[in-house]
Order: sequence, then structure tokens, then C-alpha cells
Amino acid sequence: MTPRAVAIAGIGQTAYARALPRTAWELAIEAVLSACADAGLDVAEVDGMCRFTEPFETVSEAMLVRALGIGELSFFAQAPHGGEALGAVLAQAAAAIEAGLARIVVVYRALSQSQGGRFGRADGRGPGVATRASGGAADIIVPETGNLSFAWPYGLMSPGQLFALWATRYEAAHGLTRDQLTTALGSIAIAQRAYANRNPNAMMRDRPMDWEAYQNARMISEPLRLFDLCLENDGACAYVVTSAETARALRDDPVYVLSATQTLSPYREPMGIYVQGDLLELFPPAAAERLFSGAGVTRKDVDVAEFYDATSYMPLRSLESYGFVPDGKAWRYVAEQGTGPGSPLPVNTHGGHLSEAYLHGMNGVLEAVRQLRGTSFNQVPGAEVALVGAPAGSATILAR
Amino acid sequence: MSGGGAGMSGGEGMAIVPGMTELTRPYWDAAAEGRLVIRECRGCGRLQHPPVPACPACHGADFGWREASGEGAVYSYTIIRHATHAALADAIPYVVALVELAEGPRLVTGITGCPPESVTVGMPVRAAFRRVTDEVTLPYFEPA
Repeated sequence: MTPRAVAIAGIGQTAYARALPRTAWELAIEAVLSACADAGLDVAEVDGMCRFTEPFETVSEAMLVRALGIGELSFFAQAPHGGEALGAVLAQAAAAIEAGLARIVVVYRALSQSQGGRFGRADGRGPGVATRASGGAADIIVPETGNLSFAWPYGLMSPGQLFALWATRYEAAHGLTRDQLTTALGSIAIAQRAYANRNPNAMMRDRPMDWEAYQNARMISEPLRLFDLCLENDGACAYVVTSAETARALRDDPVYVLSATQTLSPYREPMGIYVQGDLLELFPPAAAERLFSGAGVTRKDVDVAEFYDATSYMPLRSLESYGFVPDGKAWRYVAEQGTGPGSPLPVNTHGGHLSEAYLHGMNGVLEAVRQLRGTSFNQVPGAEVALVGAPAGSATILAR
Repeated sequence: MSGGGAGMSGGEGMAIVPGMTELTRPYWDAAAEGRLVIRECRGCGRLQHPPVPACPACHGADFGWREASGEGAVYSYTIIRHATHAALADAIPYVVALVELAEGPRLVTGITGCPPESVTVGMPVRAAFRRVTDEVTLPYFEPA
């Protein structure tokens, strides 16, 4: 990928709420139209789409083409792993544009948890539905896919529970007390809540949170409390990817893609608990090096980071995984330097998945674009370079 | 049921049991007999859990099942206090752990036989078996 060959020319989103009276399909339509309007494009000009695979994304490109009256897509691609592939969908869109397979690619994510099931519940959908009656009771038979049949029977069923295992391991590996870990996780959750309080689109805009409120929250899966876990909501996001030349013709402030990556190695698919080496290394360090060397920037050049945060542990560890803080030091760093306004690296300035809304990393990309346009509600002064990264290593570096 | 371990036949009478494939059935069949086994490459001796169809080290396809000692240590754990499935409503709190076997591989399992609050990373444990239905027994671990 050539840095600055491709740009994001438009962003769009719906309202975010615990329940919206519309289907994911309707939400996707609104977000895509909004992104095209922001780019100054007629949606009929869209000729490419990228999204996450099912079961993450339930709105297909076929549904959107049909509903939006788009004449023809010449390119469409999907990446597995949901938000852990947040850089992959952009990498595919950018590659398609550079290769001449498409001219205007829309990347989108639409979610209706109120109609499709909450991610924090394991019953009522997928393998969680009772499949066999035995002796008058219904059993759950967990099909063997993705090693779930080795985890679900023990009651390990949700991402929050899995990441509790990572957080406990982090605590033990670095010799932290439980109080030190709680201080680190809480520092992140509280900083993000404060950002959300200044973001009128954030679900938690009117809900301040202090240390007492954080610590008094009920334990879900120790050491993770309620406020260490992301929101469950409805909503949609979309952005428009095109060549730098087209983007400059459309607007004065395109946001350039410097690099975008995807990565996969054994058992390091998201929540791949069976990794044989160090559990804490969620992706090969070479993937982060590829991200920065491809972008032609260093860590010091990055002004703001938006880290995928299904749990508060993820931004903590991502500060280390992406090389901003040495391994094992982020717990102290977030407690002492913080991630709020004026900190060395502001993180999740929209409030993140913990306090803005959960859109599988896509709302982090939108916030990075706003930061680089200078239009964030929590603007980092003079932001020129932003990193958006998932804990499992798929990421992008953007610049104005 | 002091000491956690969901047992997974809690609320609403539902048991949560593994679906089995040709690849995974021998593991569960051994557990039903009170044995913990790990798939082993007969070519190079590599142990792999959960099983995969080829040996990632030598690409061999000749496998056996190594009888594990049942000894290990807690690599990480979480005390689950919020049920994410109706079948677990009566099981909380329970402990899910990653246990590193003396032979090397790590298993997702539950810790039983002690109060959840007494579990620590590094704690030595040994296999214990819990029958959850007439056909299915799950390997659990208890303090050694």
C-alpha cells in the first residue's frame, strides 16, 4: 500500500442507543447515505463495498445495492473477526482502489442488538439455543467450531469473560496487586467516560462516572466490572474510501490512509485462548512494525489513538502491543499519565465502546477522521496523525 | 455447590455439553472413563490441544492419545459472577481457568473443590471429573 494514495472522503453515522426502532438494514442505509452526503457524492457513484462477515455484519452488500438503487458494484469483500478486523476492511478497500477494481468504496457496520441479541448474552442465539431434550430438560449441545465446544461447557461464553482471563494473566505476569490492576482499568474507563460526557452523540453523554461509581459497579467476570465492559446498542457507521486525487476534488480536508493491516497467526484469531506461547502477546510484533514502517511514521508522530475496547483491558494492552509503552508498563502509565486531554497520547476521544457506543471499531475510525479534520468534540490540538487499532493487531494509521 | 465449577446443569435443567466430531470424540470418551488425554503426533511427539487434523510441527497425520498425568497449574482464571446464559443462573459464582498441564498444553476448564476466592495464578491443581449428563463427563481441576 502506498501512503497517501487513498483517502477517506466522507463519514456517516446514525444515532446510537440501547434500542432504536429500526432494523440493522435501515440503520445501514442511513449511515451509507450520510457518509456519501458528507463526501459530496451521489450514492449511485458507489462501486465498491467492504464489511465484516456474518454473524458480525447481518446487512449484506446485496441488500444495500437493492435498497439504494446502486447500478453495479465492481468490487466487494468481507473480512472475518468483526471489529478485530477493523484495519482489514480498510486495507481491502484501499487495495481495491489502488488496483483499479473500484473508484468509490463504502465501508460500513450496522448493528441492532435490540433485535438480533445482546453480545453479552449467550442464550437465545447461535450455539446457545437448546438443541436436544433429555429427560424433560433441554440441553445445549455446543457444536465444535472455533474451539467453542471446549469452552462453553465450562461456562466461558462471552468476550468479557475471555478478556477477564487476559487481565488476570497480565496482573500475575507483571506482579500487580488487584488494587493496581483495578486502578489501571478504572483509569481508562473513567477517562473515556469523561470524553463521552463532552460528546453529544455518546450514549453516556449525560452519565458522569467518578472513582466511587466505577469501583462500586458490580463484578461481571473478575477482575472486570460492569464499567470495564462495552455498551450493548443499536446503530450504524459508514465511511467512503477513494483515491487521494478524487478525495481532494471532493473536499478540502481529506484524511489520508498511511497504512492499514490485517494479521493472523495460530490461535491468535480474536479470543484465541489456546495460543501456545505467551497468552499476553495478542499478535506478532512484526504486524505493528509493518503498520508503522508502511506508514512511514514513528510512535512519536501519532497524536491520538482510538483502540478497540470491548473491555477496558484492551486499550491498556494495546498501548504496549503497538509499542507506545514498554511491555508491562502500561498499568502504571495510564494511572500516572492517563489517556485524557493533555496526556502524551489521548486514547478513545469519542468515549470508545465503553462510553460512546459499540460499533466494532468503526466508530473509532470515524473519530480518528474527525480528529484529523479538527472537528472532534474532544479535539486534540493540531492532530495530524491518528492510529486506530484492534487488540489482535488489525489497525490503520491515518493522517491529514 | 461450594467451590464453584458451574457443573453446567443449573437453571432450567439445561446441561451445556460439547458437540463431538471424529477429531474430538476420543477426548470426551476418555473423560467419561475418568482419564485426561491429549492428542499426540506419533511422528514427532508434539502434543496439541484442542486437536487439529495435521501436526503443526511435522505435518504428520498419524496421531495417538497421550494419557496426561492430570497435574498442572492455574495459568489464569476468572470468577464469573454474572450468568450469561439461563442455564448458568444457579451456577454463579463459578471459576473458569486456563490450566497449564505438566505436559505443556493449556486447557480451558473449571476449578472445583475450593472457594472461588482461594484460586490464584500458579496454584497447583490436579484433574477431577464431573459427570454432567449420562453421556458426558467434563475434566475439571481441584487444588493439588
